[in-house]
Amino acid sequence: MNRFVVAETAVIDAPLGRVWDVISRTDRYAEWVAGAIEVTDHHGVATVGKTYSERNRTLGPLKTDSVWTVKEIEPFKRRVDTGTGFAPLQDVTNIFEFRPVQSADGREATEMLYQVEYTIGLGPLGLLLDSIQQPAMRAGMRTSMANLSTLLRSEASRTAL
Amino acid sequence: MSSTQNTDTDVAAARHAHRADVVVIGAGLAGLTAARELVAAGKSVAVLEARDRVGGRLLNHDLGDGQVTEIGGQFVGPTQAHILALAKEVGVATYQAAVPGETVYVNDGKAKRFTGHTPPDLFALPDMGIALARIGQAAAKVDPAAPWKASNARELDGMTYETWLRKAEITGDAVDMINLFLNSAYGGEARDASALFSLWYVSTFGNETHPGTMERGTGTTGGAQDSRFVGGSQLVAQRLAEELDGRVHLSAPVRRVSQDSTGVTVVSDAGDWRADRVIVAVPPLVASRIVWDPLLPAQQDQLFQRLPFGTLMKCVAVYDKPFWREDGLSGMGLLRGGSPIREMFDNTPPDGGPGVLMGFLGGKEWRKWAHRPAAERRGAVLRCFAQAVGDRAFDTADYVEQDWTAEQWTQGGPTSVAAPGVLTDFGPWMGRPHGRVHWAGAEFSPYWNGYMDGAVRSGRHTATELLHQN
Repeated sequence: MNRFVVAETAVIDAPLGRVWDVISRTDRYAEWVAGAIEVTDHHGVATVGKTYSERNRTLGPLKTDSVWTVKEIEPFKRRVDTGTGFAPLQDVTNIFEFRPVQSADGREATEMLYQVEYTIGLGPLGLLLDSIQQPAMRAGMRTSMANLSTLLRSEASRTAL
Repeated sequence: MSSTQNTDTDVAAARHAHRADVVVIGAGLAGLTAARELVAAGKSVAVLEARDRVGGRLLNHDLGDGQVTEIGGQFVGPTQAHILALAKEVGVATYQAAVPGETVYVNDGKAKRFTGHTPPDLFALPDMGIALARIGQAAAKVDPAAPWKASNARELDGMTYETWLRKAEITGDAVDMINLFLNSAYGGEARDASALFSLWYVSTFGNETHPGTMERGTGTTGGAQDSRFVGGSQLVAQRLAEELDGRVHLSAPVRRVSQDSTGVTVVSDAGDWRADRVIVAVPPLVASRIVWDPLLPAQQDQLFQRLPFGTLMKCVAVYDKPFWREDGLSGMGLLRGGSPIREMFDNTPPDGGPGVLMGFLGGKEWRKWAHRPAAERRGAVLRCFAQAVGDRAFDTADYVEQDWTAEQWTQGGPTSVAAPGVLTDFGPWMGRPHGRVHWAGAEFSPYWNGYMDGAVRSGRHTATELLHQN
């Protein structure tokens, strides 16, 4: 079995508390996670041991149904979920980590680590498969964090209710 | 039972403080137009309006400095001669709604700019061409005045519009494009309406000499979204009310209508009226909730209950100026792929001033977003706007939502949508007078049904009908 770790980081232009609030909402992933078309089942604010389900885009027009289980929550720091439904990727683990930083103009911002770990069987073919899918996965992770930044900006506009 | 009714009538009679030849219930365009016609014919008229304002689904939002934008109905266009002539008579001018610049087509998050009427989507366009041709052919066979008489009316009314489209080998892309229009036109989708209703709806996009077409209904310049009113569409209703000179009574919701051989008693929160005849010019579903004595014919009551309005919210973002125009954009956008806002327009007042973007949150998207926290919904709307005009869309000076489902006296928007079975089983009861009670409203018009022009047509038609009765 080949075990892969794919990680991307980005600075989210919003205070840690607001970032944490949004990423904790299992009903909101389709609003910012690039591959999530729809959240089909959720339990609101993430709770360890509970699950949520998504319809996800995979390659091209292909779609899959995934189920995620919340495994670990360290408030405002770390969140770990495991997912099924991404064959041939197996033992998929999604990790978010956060730390507060300051933006160039002195505003509160948040550094986010987005990491996905998984295995692919199939020996050398698995390595080939990963070389095809990993760039798209990385791009999706970067897009997701950019989307998260945009979402937080949109909800913090001057006329915020 | 009858003795109770008699007692109620007696009590109401004892309370009579007002008298008019005709009481009009509802001060939207239809009711006000009917009242104007009746007054011109020498009738004494009282208009009872539940709200503290006139205009019904026409509603201006004050932007300050004498500027307004509309958060209700706003567009008019060719073949809508009734509303255009009426507006002219009351001194409300029109202006071209389209703003020079490119439109933005967003599909799956990818934005493309284009000019003209054809979105740059090679996959959807062939299907859309087929869809428009088939809709046009089928709609041409439906009589706008009596859709239930179409030769295949039962078959068409036995399926949803979406089923009919798919049976006509129109695929997902074109169905989604049609839903993009229905999102604001119905506050719903093709799956919400019967095929007969939808083809009839298209057949109403015209007049006695110009058969209805989908292109006219969906079009901007030269179509139903061609023009707007200087001062906002509600100004037409306000001017009509001014002309009626004290005959319009606000905050007067009507609770009960009782009729007997000598007249009609209308019980409202602002007092009771006794009249020879009554015109009811409120949405059909709202009309069905008035207490009727005697009861409405069961078929008519069933019809009104089955003509609910769609689910629609207008979302308006106000900016210091219409910044998108500097980038060569018209502010118009068509958004697909699960976007909360499907259609957006530049709603900036005609003489400049603050920039205004308006988007429709309707149908399935309304159902998804209406119950969400306001800040989250506003964020989703602004992200849609930003996809079309850039991130400056987040820098709002003001943000306003008008959820028409939250209006007690409208209960949805923009118009009635009939599910399968309604038109063929109950349609002939549409405008049939109930004794001394007559019906008016945009939903009772054979042309531009659900539109301002339909409302004015209907108001005139019903006033004429009533005068002939007398």
